[in-house]
Amino acid sequence: MVSRRDFLRTGAAAAAAASLPGCRSERDAPRWDGRAHRKPERSDVAILRAESYSGDLLDTVTAGLELFALKISGRRVVLKPNLVEFDPQGVINTHPALIAATIEAFLHLGAREVVVAEGPGHRRDNEYLLTESGLGEILRDTGTRYVDLNQDSVRPARLLSSYTQLGTLYLPETVLDAELFVSMPKLKTHHWAGVTLSMKNLFGVVPGAVYGWPKNVLHWAGIGASIIDINAALEVPRFNIVDGIVGMEGNGPIQGEPKRSGVLVFGADPVAVDATCARLMSIDPWRVSYLADAAAFLGNVANERIAQLAEDVDTLRQDFRVLESFETLKLTPRAAAG
Amino acid sequence: MIEQFSRQASLTRSSRRSEQAKRVPALASVRKLLLEAQDDQGGWPAASSFPSTTESTALGLLAVSYATEESSRIAANRAMAWLQARQRPDGSWPHSDQVPHGDWATSLAILALSRFPEEKASADAGARWLLGQEGRGYGWLTKLVFLLFPERKAVRLDPDLIGWPWYPDTFSWIEPTSYSLIALKSRRADLRGRRARARIDEAERMILDRECLSGGWNYGNSMVLDEELWPYPDTTALALIALQDFPRPESLERSLTALEAMVEDRASILSLALAVLALQLHGRDVAAVRSRLAGRVESELLPTDTRSLAFAALALDDGAKPLAVPTDPLRQARSANG
Repeated sequence: MVSRRDFLRTGAAAAAAASLPGCRSERDAPRWDGRAHRKPERSDVAILRAESYSGDLLDTVTAGLELFALKISGRRVVLKPNLVEFDPQGVINTHPALIAATIEAFLHLGAREVVVAEGPGHRRDNEYLLTESGLGEILRDTGTRYVDLNQDSVRPARLLSSYTQLGTLYLPETVLDAELFVSMPKLKTHHWAGVTLSMKNLFGVVPGAVYGWPKNVLHWAGIGASIIDINAALEVPRFNIVDGIVGMEGNGPIQGEPKRSGVLVFGADPVAVDATCARLMSIDPWRVSYLADAAAFLGNVANERIAQLAEDVDTLRQDFRVLESFETLKLTPRAAAG
Repeated sequence: MIEQFSRQASLTRSSRRSEQAKRVPALASVRKLLLEAQDDQGGWPAASSFPSTTESTALGLLAVSYATEESSRIAANRAMAWLQARQRPDGSWPHSDQVPHGDWATSLAILALSRFPEEKASADAGARWLLGQEGRGYGWLTKLVFLLFPERKAVRLDPDLIGWPWYPDTFSWIEPTSYSLIALKSRRADLRGRRARARIDEAERMILDRECLSGGWNYGNSMVLDEELWPYPDTTALALIALQDFPRPESLERSLTALEAMVEDRASILSLALAVLALQLHGRDVAAVRSRLAGRVESELLPTDTRSLAFAALALDDGAKPLAVPTDPLRQARSANG
């Protein structure tokens, strides 16, 4: 007897599986520890307009943070941007100007220290990535410490959910000990997972020195299942800021095309933030399997359980092009209304 | 005519002197930084503030093993002791003290210890373990799906060609396969037998199968969903180092040219260093690339990661061919016979 898991144990197979009825990911037996249940009754999310990476970005980020009752004063804040790869013609990464504004905003709001931490998924050459992406210059200018999560000291973290069969993952101490962990993804489509947002961004906390480049062990374990297990495993205080000023559509997360969206999305519940982002992209979050699964215990997907503190989703929704195999994820008018 | 030759010879001597004037102090700088980065136990961390790892310690050891100063000899002895203390009973090394299983870093420990005849038993035990490790291929169900629905095969690679994985029991990738090939080839005299030869041959074929369409390699995928992926200089150089004695060198021309182009401008210290090591093993003139590496080391803020420093030290030492593997008489004979 061959399990569905066997079938799904490659990235390629996962892609194929996306269009095979009856061969969905490991949704058959969702399980989670009581400690992993952190779904609130209602989740606050804020969509703020931000037309460009210059100008009053600091004011916008500060305004976004101030909408939430975040405990920032005296805390060490770990920002986790998306810096998976670099393409001079592309928009793969969280824009360094947004990272700079966020560093400044957190310090202004009383953070003891702000650290930028990332474990790039494809490249090992940090000097290249930091220089070419422009992040290195920001780090120097702001005097901010950068931690390469691929090489950080690790501890085994027992997974609190079992969508994968990994059981335990070695995770970086910088993340496990964060006093406030902020996922800062780019608003992108993803050619295996449908969308890559706050939750998928956490693939970057899995240390490459243990698991490799790319973090293939997560592909073998199932991409959607891994997204849930990693997110459920992190028990630190969390926040999310999505860079949707210019997002990516089509063949994301690396080779898609830029999509100017003019938004930043804020929120503490990563599921609600990602569900909101999906709706902004005209994607039905209930059809993104890992979001639908996460809605059972990690956070809110249902529209009626998400309070929009700033702009309305419908006003700013854009049609993000997806690969043909993900056309079924698109938001129908009825789902958009509901 | 004689005058012209004489002028050219004089120019060559002059540019060599200029190259040497840059190279020698640059080499001294990186070696000094490396020695300073070694920890109290004799290990090297990936970068300051991280715990020591097998990869960094092996590369640090390899780099100092070519220096003749007493301080380097002492550092080498301490690094050997660090590695000896961490070799597992099965012959493997774990990435770090936090991870309790042998992994990809074993190949680098073998490579470094192969510099010291007194470490033969240790290196051989590591090589035997390494020979037993294989990247994982697709399961039969996945193969069946791709046979029935070839359009669903998202990547352009032959999954039946097996190299080495980063993490046990996952897919084969370029960097661990390259390190494993270099390590096993360096132990060739002690690894007689069909098994070793077959693994080396197959891993070489795997690397060639993953070559990007424009030449060179990235982490190990040349095409995803019909989109061509681009090569990286560091992984391209490592693959070329691993293929240094490949019987059909003409098939590597495209990637050698691609590597030269990739490091032409804006390359990192790591990429320049690895390019020098790879290109010189393939008989290319590396004076210009090495000179640029020396210039970068002397004029810019040096990277703090041990990997970049160690490869820079190896590349700046023009007397050594540090990653050259012994020739294989059988392979030479086969090559001569076409």
